[in-house]
Amino acid sequence: MPLRPARRGRVGVIRAPVAKTAVVAKAVTPGAAPVARTAVVAAAVKPGRRRRI
Amino acid sequence: MAEQSLDELGPVDYVVVEFPAGASNFTGEMAAELLALVDSGTIRVIDVLILTKDQDGAVEAMELSDIGELGELQALEAQLAELLAEDDVEHLAAAMEPGSTAGVLIWENLWAAPFASAARRSGGQLIANGRIPIQAIIASIEADEPLTTQGE
Repeated sequence: MPLRPARRGRVGVIRAPVAKTAVVAKAVTPGAAPVARTAVVAAAVKPGRRRRI
Repeated sequence: MAEQSLDELGPVDYVVVEFPAGASNFTGEMAAELLALVDSGTIRVIDVLILTKDQDGAVEAMELSDIGELGELQALEAQLAELLAEDDVEHLAAAMEPGSTAGVLIWENLWAAPFASAARRSGGQLIANGRIPIQAIIASIEADEPLTTQGE
């Protein structure tokens, strides 16, 4: 189905071809324990966690 | 939107959500969660497109209103601003796999607008922004773990 006429002839807002983002579902389930990975990420963003420099 | 000044506009983001061939399972859950975000004033949906890419790579774009029964999304559809232009379709579809369908969602982060306005009034200017992929967080933590173990 065609797009509405208002979309034609205008300058777009997405300036370049979009690159595919790594699929998160694959990234967090590489091993047998995706739950453990979830815990790791949760720990990384836990309130009060301090960086070590 | 017409009465909204640029100074009060929140950051505008987009996502392209791909549904590989045969993998879609629409139960209404996505629509419900989206409407909850709108109803709570967290976001304002600016535009929606549905894209399909055939096995030869040809892309077709549809309006939200083209998909038939919208249900609760009907009210949302009436408020869309049609920001995306025909030119944007090919760029957005570049990330899609052949044979897939994707939903494109553009929204304004209403929750961020007051803070952004305050930052501008304070003399600040946005010089960078972005999103940290979960994969990067995992990689950072995993790289950190041996150091933590050694330090203990």
